[in-house]
Amino acid sequence: MSGTGVTELPGARERAAPGPVLHKGIGPAPSGWLDPRGRSLGGRAFALNRVTGLALVLYLYLHLGVLSILLFGASAWDDLLGVATSTAFLGLDVVLLFGLLFHGLNGIRVGLVGSGVAPDRQRVLFWAGAAVGGVVLAYGAFHVFGAG
Amino acid sequence: MSVLEIRPRPERARGYGTRSARVWWWTVGTGIALLVLVTVHMVAHHFVVDEAGGLRTYDQVLDYVGNPLILAIEALLLLTVTIHAMLGVRSVLLDFDWGPRARRLVDAGLWLLGVLTVLYGYVLLAVLAWRA
Repeated sequence: MSGTGVTELPGARERAAPGPVLHKGIGPAPSGWLDPRGRSLGGRAFALNRVTGLALVLYLYLHLGVLSILLFGASAWDDLLGVATSTAFLGLDVVLLFGLLFHGLNGIRVGLVGSGVAPDRQRVLFWAGAAVGGVVLAYGAFHVFGAG
Repeated sequence: MSVLEIRPRPERARGYGTRSARVWWWTVGTGIALLVLVTVHMVAHHFVVDEAGGLRTYDQVLDYVGNPLILAIEALLLLTVTIHAMLGVRSVLLDFDWGPRARRLVDAGLWLLGVLTVLYGYVLLAVLAWRA
Protein backbone atom coordinates (compact mmCIF):
# COMPACT_ATOMS: atom_id res chain seq x y z
CA MET A 1 0.00 0.00 0.00
CA SER A 2 2.89 2.34 0.73
CA GLY A 3 3.56 4.88 -1.96
CA THR A 4 0.59 3.96 -4.10
CA GLY A 5 -1.21 7.21 -3.35
CA VAL A 6 -4.70 5.75 -2.97
CA THR A 7 -7.04 8.71 -2.78
CA GLU A 8 -10.51 7.23 -3.08
CA LEU A 9 -12.48 4.27 -1.84
CA PRO A 10 -12.80 1.23 -4.10
CA GLY A 11 -15.88 1.47 -6.30
CA ALA A 12 -16.43 5.16 -5.56
CA ARG A 13 -16.51 6.10 -9.25
CA GLU A 14 -19.00 3.34 -10.05
CA ARG A 15 -21.24 4.48 -7.22
CA ALA A 16 -21.01 8.10 -8.30
CA ALA A 17 -21.98 7.31 -11.91
CA PRO A 18 -25.59 8.16 -12.79
CA GLY A 19 -28.04 5.35 -13.30
CA PRO A 20 -30.09 2.83 -11.32
CA VAL A 21 -28.88 1.98 -7.83
CA LEU A 22 -27.16 -1.36 -8.22
CA HIS A 23 -26.08 -2.08 -4.68
CA LYS A 24 -28.84 -2.66 -2.14
CA GLY A 25 -28.06 -5.10 0.62
CA ILE A 26 -25.03 -7.36 0.57
CA GLY A 27 -23.73 -8.70 -2.71
CA PRO A 28 -23.70 -7.42 -6.23
CA ALA A 29 -26.75 -7.14 -8.43
CA PRO A 30 -25.49 -5.83 -11.75
CA SER A 31 -28.99 -5.70 -13.19
CA GLY A 32 -30.59 -3.75 -10.33
CA TRP A 33 -32.52 -4.28 -7.10
CA LEU A 34 -35.10 -6.61 -8.66
CA ASP A 35 -32.52 -9.21 -9.68
CA PRO A 36 -32.31 -11.88 -6.92
CA ARG A 37 -29.07 -13.45 -8.21
CA GLY A 38 -26.16 -13.25 -5.82
CA ARG A 39 -28.17 -11.39 -3.18
CA SER A 40 -28.27 -12.01 0.53
CA LEU A 41 -31.49 -12.86 2.35
CA GLY A 42 -31.86 -9.18 3.23
CA GLY A 43 -31.36 -8.12 -0.39
CA ARG A 44 -34.01 -10.54 -1.60
CA ALA A 45 -36.38 -9.46 1.15
CA PHE A 46 -35.75 -5.84 0.09
CA ALA A 47 -36.64 -6.67 -3.54
CA LEU A 48 -39.79 -8.57 -2.56
CA ASN A 49 -40.72 -5.74 -0.18
CA ARG A 50 -40.60 -3.33 -3.12
CA VAL A 51 -42.53 -5.65 -5.42
CA THR A 52 -45.29 -6.17 -2.83
CA GLY A 53 -45.28 -2.44 -2.06
CA LEU A 54 -45.74 -1.46 -5.70
CA ALA A 55 -48.44 -4.13 -6.11
CA LEU A 56 -50.23 -2.77 -3.04
CA VAL A 57 -50.11 0.77 -4.48
CA LEU A 58 -51.77 -0.56 -7.65
CA TYR A 59 -54.29 -2.38 -5.49
CA LEU A 60 -55.06 0.86 -3.60
CA TYR A 61 -56.27 2.45 -6.84
CA LEU A 62 -58.05 -0.72 -7.95
CA HIS A 63 -59.76 -0.78 -4.55
CA LEU A 64 -60.86 2.85 -4.83
CA GLY A 65 -62.16 2.12 -8.34
CA VAL A 66 -64.13 -0.91 -7.18
CA LEU A 67 -65.56 0.96 -4.18
CA SER A 68 -66.73 3.68 -6.58
CA ILE A 69 -69.31 1.15 -7.84
CA LEU A 70 -71.10 1.78 -4.53
CA LEU A 71 -72.01 5.21 -5.94
CA PHE A 72 -74.19 3.48 -8.56
CA GLY A 73 -76.46 1.83 -6.00
CA ALA A 74 -77.34 -1.54 -4.55
CA SER A 75 -77.92 -3.46 -7.79
CA ALA A 76 -74.54 -2.48 -9.23
CA TRP A 77 -72.84 -3.50 -5.96
CA ASP A 78 -74.70 -6.83 -5.88
CA ASP A 79 -73.55 -7.55 -9.44
CA LEU A 80 -69.98 -6.92 -8.34
CA LEU A 81 -70.35 -9.19 -5.30
CA GLY A 82 -71.43 -11.98 -7.63
CA VAL A 83 -68.03 -11.76 -9.35
CA ALA A 84 -65.96 -10.90 -6.26
CA THR A 85 -67.12 -14.00 -4.38
CA SER A 86 -66.10 -16.40 -7.16
CA THR A 87 -63.30 -18.84 -6.36
CA ALA A 88 -60.83 -17.06 -8.65
CA PHE A 89 -61.39 -13.68 -6.97
CA LEU A 90 -61.24 -15.19 -3.49
CA GLY A 91 -57.87 -16.62 -4.55
CA LEU A 92 -56.75 -13.09 -5.40
CA ASP A 93 -57.85 -12.07 -1.89
CA VAL A 94 -55.39 -14.61 -0.52
CA VAL A 95 -52.65 -13.20 -2.79
CA LEU A 96 -53.52 -9.74 -1.44
CA LEU A 97 -53.28 -11.07 2.11
CA PHE A 98 -49.83 -12.50 1.32
CA GLY A 99 -48.70 -9.11 -0.02
CA LEU A 100 -49.99 -7.29 3.04
CA LEU A 101 -48.44 -9.78 5.45
CA PHE A 102 -45.05 -9.84 3.74
CA HIS A 103 -44.86 -6.06 3.36
CA GLY A 104 -46.08 -5.43 6.91
CA LEU A 105 -43.96 -8.04 8.68
CA ASN A 106 -40.85 -7.27 6.62
CA GLY A 107 -41.52 -3.59 7.31
CA ILE A 108 -41.35 -4.31 11.04
CA ARG A 109 -37.98 -6.00 10.46
CA VAL A 110 -36.67 -3.10 8.38
CA GLY A 111 -37.88 -0.59 10.98
CA LEU A 112 -36.27 -2.46 13.88
CA VAL A 113 -32.98 -2.95 12.02
CA GLY A 114 -32.84 0.49 10.40
CA SER A 115 -33.74 2.44 13.52
CA GLY A 116 -31.00 0.71 15.50
CA VAL A 117 -33.34 -1.17 17.88
CA ALA A 118 -32.16 -4.57 16.60
CA PRO A 119 -29.46 -3.89 14.00
CA ASP A 120 -27.87 -7.36 14.22
CA ARG A 121 -31.05 -9.44 14.22
CA GLN A 122 -31.93 -9.35 10.51
CA ARG A 123 -32.15 -13.08 9.91
CA VAL A 124 -33.98 -14.07 13.07
CA LEU A 125 -36.48 -11.25 12.54
CA PHE A 126 -37.04 -12.36 8.95
CA TRP A 127 -37.73 -15.97 9.90
CA ALA A 128 -39.88 -14.95 12.87
CA GLY A 129 -41.94 -12.79 10.50
CA ALA A 130 -42.13 -15.66 8.01
CA ALA A 131 -43.44 -17.98 10.73
CA VAL A 132 -46.07 -15.51 11.94
CA GLY A 133 -47.03 -14.61 8.37
CA GLY A 134 -47.34 -18.24 7.35
CA VAL A 135 -49.73 -19.02 10.20
CA VAL A 136 -51.86 -15.90 9.57
CA LEU A 137 -51.92 -16.54 5.82
CA ALA A 138 -53.03 -20.15 6.33
CA TYR A 139 -55.77 -19.03 8.73
CA GLY A 140 -56.83 -16.22 6.39
CA ALA A 141 -56.98 -18.49 3.33
CA PHE A 142 -58.99 -21.06 5.25
CA HIS A 143 -61.37 -18.37 6.44
CA VAL A 144 -61.80 -16.71 3.03
CA PHE A 145 -62.55 -19.96 1.24
CA GLY A 146 -64.46 -21.38 4.18
CA ALA A 147 -66.75 -18.36 4.25
CA GLY A 148 -67.23 -18.66 0.48
CA MET B 1 2.75 5.20 4.68
CA SER B 2 -0.09 6.41 2.61
CA VAL B 3 -3.31 7.33 4.22
CA LEU B 4 -6.58 6.37 2.65
CA GLU B 5 -8.38 9.65 2.23
CA ILE B 6 -11.98 9.38 3.03
CA ARG B 7 -14.18 12.16 1.80
CA PRO B 8 -15.73 13.88 4.82
CA ARG B 9 -19.42 13.38 5.25
CA PRO B 10 -21.39 16.40 4.02
CA GLU B 11 -22.83 18.50 6.82
CA ARG B 12 -26.40 17.95 5.64
CA ALA B 13 -26.02 14.18 5.87
CA ARG B 14 -25.61 14.18 9.65
CA GLY B 15 -28.31 13.63 12.23
CA TYR B 16 -31.99 13.01 11.75
CA GLY B 17 -32.85 16.38 10.29
CA THR B 18 -31.99 15.68 6.67
CA ARG B 19 -34.72 15.29 4.13
CA SER B 20 -34.01 11.62 3.42
CA ALA B 21 -33.97 10.88 7.15
CA ARG B 22 -37.30 12.63 7.62
CA VAL B 23 -38.76 10.66 4.70
CA TRP B 24 -37.49 7.42 6.25
CA TRP B 25 -39.04 8.23 9.63
CA TRP B 26 -42.34 9.24 7.98
CA THR B 27 -42.32 5.93 6.12
CA VAL B 28 -41.68 4.03 9.36
CA GLY B 29 -44.25 6.07 11.32
CA THR B 30 -47.01 5.63 8.76
CA GLY B 31 -46.02 1.97 8.44
CA ILE B 32 -46.48 1.44 12.18
CA ALA B 33 -49.87 3.19 12.06
CA LEU B 34 -50.85 1.02 9.07
CA LEU B 35 -50.09 -2.16 10.99
CA VAL B 36 -52.98 -1.23 13.27
CA LEU B 37 -55.27 0.45 10.75
CA VAL B 38 -54.97 -2.20 8.02
CA THR B 39 -55.47 -4.98 10.58
CA VAL B 40 -58.67 -3.28 11.80
CA HIS B 41 -59.77 -2.72 8.19
CA MET B 42 -59.11 -6.30 7.07
CA VAL B 43 -60.72 -7.88 10.14
CA ALA B 44 -63.76 -5.59 9.93
CA HIS B 45 -64.25 -6.24 6.23
CA HIS B 46 -63.33 -9.88 5.81
CA PHE B 47 -63.42 -11.67 9.14
CA VAL B 48 -66.54 -10.52 10.99
CA VAL B 49 -69.12 -10.39 8.18
CA ASP B 50 -71.17 -13.55 7.79
CA GLU B 51 -71.38 -13.30 4.00
CA ALA B 52 -69.62 -15.06 1.13
CA GLY B 53 -65.96 -14.02 1.11
CA GLY B 54 -66.63 -11.83 4.14
CA LEU B 55 -67.80 -9.02 1.83
CA ARG B 56 -70.59 -6.65 2.92
CA THR B 57 -73.81 -6.11 1.03
CA TYR B 58 -74.71 -2.56 -0.05
CA ASP B 59 -76.88 -1.93 3.04
CA GLN B 60 -74.22 -3.38 5.32
CA VAL B 61 -71.62 -1.03 3.77
CA LEU B 62 -73.84 1.98 4.43
CA ASP B 63 -74.49 0.87 8.02
CA TYR B 64 -70.75 0.39 8.50
CA VAL B 65 -69.72 3.77 7.08
CA GLY B 66 -72.59 5.48 8.92
CA ASN B 67 -70.80 4.86 12.22
CA PRO B 68 -68.78 8.07 12.94
CA LEU B 69 -65.97 6.14 14.62
CA ILE B 70 -65.61 3.79 11.64
CA LEU B 71 -65.77 6.76 9.27
CA ALA B 72 -62.92 8.44 11.17
CA ILE B 73 -60.84 5.24 11.14
CA GLU B 74 -61.36 4.73 7.41
CA ALA B 75 -60.51 8.38 6.71
CA LEU B 76 -57.32 8.08 8.79
CA LEU B 77 -56.47 4.82 7.02
CA LEU B 78 -56.78 6.43 3.59
CA LEU B 79 -54.60 9.39 4.59
CA THR B 80 -51.95 7.17 6.18
CA VAL B 81 -51.83 4.59 3.39
CA THR B 82 -51.59 7.33 0.75
CA ILE B 83 -48.64 9.01 2.50
CA HIS B 84 -46.91 5.63 2.92
CA ALA B 85 -47.60 4.68 -0.71
CA MET B 86 -46.35 7.97 -2.15
CA LEU B 87 -43.15 7.80 -0.08
CA GLY B 88 -42.59 4.21 -1.21
CA VAL B 89 -43.09 5.05 -4.88
CA ARG B 90 -40.79 8.05 -4.42
CA SER B 91 -37.98 5.87 -3.08
CA VAL B 92 -38.29 3.50 -6.04
CA LEU B 93 -38.35 6.35 -8.57
CA LEU B 94 -35.45 8.25 -7.00
CA ASP B 95 -33.25 5.16 -7.22
CA PHE B 96 -33.00 5.96 -10.94
CA ASP B 97 -30.96 9.05 -10.03
CA TRP B 98 -32.49 11.33 -12.64
CA GLY B 99 -31.00 14.55 -11.33
CA PRO B 100 -32.36 17.45 -9.26
CA ARG B 101 -34.95 18.68 -11.77
CA ALA B 102 -36.46 15.22 -12.13
CA ARG B 103 -36.47 14.80 -8.34
CA ARG B 104 -38.51 17.97 -7.99
CA LEU B 105 -40.91 16.76 -10.68
CA VAL B 106 -41.28 13.40 -8.94
CA ASP B 107 -41.95 15.14 -5.61
CA ALA B 108 -44.48 17.52 -7.13
CA GLY B 109 -46.20 14.76 -9.09
CA LEU B 110 -46.50 12.49 -6.07
CA TRP B 111 -47.79 15.35 -3.90
CA LEU B 112 -50.48 16.05 -6.50
CA LEU B 113 -51.38 12.38 -6.90
CA GLY B 114 -51.52 11.90 -3.14
CA VAL B 115 -53.74 14.93 -2.54
CA LEU B 116 -56.10 13.90 -5.37
CA THR B 117 -56.24 10.33 -4.02
CA VAL B 118 -57.16 11.45 -0.51
CA LEU B 119 -59.67 13.99 -1.80
CA TYR B 120 -61.38 11.43 -4.03
CA GLY B 121 -61.52 8.90 -1.20
CA TYR B 122 -62.97 11.45 1.19
CA VAL B 123 -65.66 12.44 -1.33
CA LEU B 124 -66.51 8.75 -1.74
CA LEU B 125 -66.69 8.26 2.02
CA ALA B 126 -68.76 11.42 2.49
CA VAL B 127 -71.31 10.39 -0.15
CA LEU B 128 -71.71 6.93 1.37
CA ALA B 129 -71.96 8.33 4.90
CA TRP B 130 -74.56 10.84 3.72
CA ARG B 131 -76.61 8.04 2.13
CA ALA B 132 -76.51 6.11 5.41
